[in-house]
This record gives sequence, C-alpha cells and structure tokens, in this order.
Amino acid sequence: MVRVKSRYLLCEVIVSDRSRLLLLDDRAIAIAVKATVARIHGDYGAALCSVGFSVKYLNAHTGIVFLRMPKRCYKLLWSALPFITSIETRGEKIQCFLNCLHVGGTIRTCQKFLIRYNTQQLHRMLPKCKNEEEKQQVSQALLNCTLVGGTDEAFEDELRSEEDEEECLPNMP
Amino acid sequence: MSVFMDLNLIYTGDRTGLRTLLETAAHLGFSTVAINYVFEPTSKKKQEIPTPTPINELIDHLPVVQGRSRPIRVLNRLTVVMSDSSHFRPNATEYRSFDLLAVQPTTEKLFHAACMLYDVDIICISVSEKLPFFFKRAPVNGAADRGVVFEVSYSAAIRDSTLRRYTIANAINLMESCKGRNVILSSAAEKALELRGPYDVTNLYPTSGASDTDVWTFMFTQLWCSVTIYFCVFLTRLLSGLLFGLSDGDAKEAVCSTCRSVLLHAETRKTASGIIYTMRSCSDSAGQEGAPGDPEHGDPPAAKRHKLVLTQ
Repeated sequence: MVRVKSRYLLCEVIVSDRSRLLLLDDRAIAIAVKATVARIHGDYGAALCSVGFSVKYLNAHTGIVFLRMPKRCYKLLWSALPFITSIETRGEKIQCFLNCLHVGGTIRTCQKFLIRYNTQQLHRMLPKCKNEEEKQQVSQALLNCTLVGGTDEAFEDELRSEEDEEECLPNMP
Repeated sequence: MSVFMDLNLIYTGDRTGLRTLLETAAHLGFSTVAINYVFEPTSKKKQEIPTPTPINELIDHLPVVQGRSRPIRVLNRLTVVMSDSSHFRPNATEYRSFDLLAVQPTTEKLFHAACMLYDVDIICISVSEKLPFFFKRAPVNGAADRGVVFEVSYSAAIRDSTLRRYTIANAINLMESCKGRNVILSSAAEKALELRGPYDVTNLYPTSGASDTDVWTFMFTQLWCSVTIYFCVFLTRLLSGLLFGLSDGDAKEAVCSTCRSVLLHAETRKTASGIIYTMRSCSDSAGQEGAPGDPEHGDPPAAKRHKLVLTQ
C-alpha cells in the first residue's frame, strides 16, 4: 500500500500593520491562494489546487499558516504564492505577502520547526524590550518553551523509529 | 549554510521607507543587500551622477539578519540606463564611490558592448518592455567568460500582469542563450511588501530545462520557474518525473555563489584585492559564513576562476 503523500508549507504572513493580522481567517487565505494560482497558472493550476489543497492551521496572532498541498504538484502551487499581494477578508483588503519558512512532509516536522523558529523569535525580541515588564514576559515565555522542548525531546526518543518515514526537504538554514 | 543576497533595492528619498525595507530584508533572511541608485541620462549632456548616501546616515542601527547573529550588510550600487554609448563613461570618478556597477542597455549594439567591453559587474535585463532584440550567443558567452552576470528583477512582475509577461518573455529569451548560468535574481523593491523570501524566490529550481552540466552555477529564478513550469506541466504529462533531476544541495550552492561572485568581481574591479583571497583552514562555523569574499567549501564562483585564468 502506498499512502497519500502531501507537502506542508509553513508560511508566515507578513503585513505592514500587525494589528490587521487578526482579521485573517482560514477561508480568506484559501480563497486568496486559489485565486492567485488560477491567475498565474490558469485553469490547469486551479484544477490541481482544488483537489488536495487546504489550509490546515492559522495563527492570526503570529501570522503563521500551514498549507497542505499534494506532493506531485506542490512546486507548481508554491510558485504562485509569491504573487499574492493582498488578502481580502470581511470586505477589507489586507496588503501582505506570504513568506515560506519550511517545507515538510508531515505536520509534525513542521510543528517542530515552528517551535524552534518561535523560540528564535523570542530570543530576537529579548534585546529589543523597552521596559522591565516586557522583559519579564519574554523571558518567562522562553522558559516555558524550553520546558516544552525538554518534554518534546523525551517524546522524540520514543518515536525515533517513526521518523524514518518523514520526509523533510533540506530547505531550512 | 547558504548566504542569500538581494542586490537590488531601489533607493527612495523616504528614509523610513528604506528602513522598513532593510528590516524586512533582514527578517526574510537576506544577509547582503545593495541599495540601487538608478541613473538615467537623457539627451542633454553632463547630468549629475547621484552620489550614494552613506548607510550610517540613512539608518543608525542595522537590523540583525534572521537566523544569524550579524547585522545585515548594505552596499551601494549604481545602475546606468543606457540608450547611447556616451552615457557610460568608463573613467568617471563618480563611479568609484559605488560598490557595484550595473548597466541596462537598450539596444543590441549597446548590449554587445556592455557584454564584451564595459567594465561593469551586472547587466540588467529590462522588465518593462518587450526586448527589441534577441540575445546572441557570442556576447552572452563573452559576458560569462568575463564574470559579468545578468540580472532579472521580479517585483515588477508582482505588481502588474503585463509586466509579468514581459519579464517572463525576456527571462526566457535570456535563458535560452545563457542556459541559466551567470544570472542573479533581485527584487528591485521600492516598498517592503514587494520583497519575497529567498526560498520563495528559488523554489522551483529543478524545473528548469537547462542541462545538468552547468548545474552548480544555476541561479534558478522564481520567474523562470513560472516560465518553465508551463513548459514543464506540458512535458510532465508526457514524461512524468524526468525533469526533477537536480539535488537540493547543488541548487542551494548555486543560489548564493553567483551573487558572491558578483561581489568578488566588483571588488576586483575596484581594487586588486578580489584576486587574492584567504581561506581559513579549520571551519569556524558561526563567524565566517557571511563574508562574500570568503570561499566556502564547494566550487569557486565564476569570477574567481576567470581571474585565475587571466593571471596565468
């Protein structure tokens, strides 16, 4: 038996005004991606996009999106993503673009990457803090995620054998 | 570890705009950017060549690059839009103050001259009009031998559908004669939202129709990808799986090495120091990877090899 393979793209929505991120929802992003694929690749792209494509996860606070694409045509769909310039939601147009951070074969590898990426972001935020309270919050968040990371590692050891199945493009730095 | 570079951010007088542009580029993971001053001489003679604003005047605190601990490296670049051969003055002292020098020829004759004679680093391919001429093999190969690279910029294609067609058409035109070697892709972004991440830009490298032998210098471009994808979609229906021949490692090597060779070429043009370079014997992971003149493992960039040939 061969299972259905897909690729998960971990994308970051970058906007000029961060407060407008909260307006985003799954459907708006799916519609924007489908429309762009149709614009760039025509009917063929639109047809491919209608089969295995879905938005798996959206965090409106950090602007992180997981897109699921069928493995056989994910490059085609991915090539249309840079041409997204705005996402329309609730009658408003949000000027933004999607920056692809990671391509993974399973959601789990993407999640692991995301945890690492977010930790990195917290580290970057730490020197930029203006007052003591913010600093406290960020360092607290950092401590929290190391705790999660620790348990995650223990968990990883258990599931080491499963990792062989995972396919992950060497796409991250 | 790859070092991504974006050698073309359009200079605007707006200081806050430029700052957000740099911050976004750093956030996306570009280690080196060049601020581009476009100089377009018209019929009247002796126009002022712009002087670059020193970067510490523009922005007091350079943002740290994503994934690294160093601040972003900013260069200055001049692009001369040529419609007449008198527009490029090879010995002008004004050119000295720029790190990179680029020309954008508009006629076939000037293109030939730019490839074969002019002492420049980059030749820009116009994206705002259909090119009135074909790229001939001879000048393109000549440029490749001299270490001059071609540049295609993508932000116009993001903005407008007509310009997208022109860009794709011109890129295909170029692709056919240079086979994907010696090409860099830059953003030419004026606003922060016109930049794109490095992985998005290079995502489709294996779909190009070029031959495997030149693979290591390939800078596969997003545009070409969408260009070639049409072709590939058509082909993959016929011979599925044949086209995806290039390994990820090779292509990633290619993404940064062409840009690095441009910087090296520019350095060589200005001083002699680009010819001589030092290599650190033990690999020190964090510090050394960024410097453009720094040879990492793998093949040397085109310009380096070329210079070695010259000195013999």
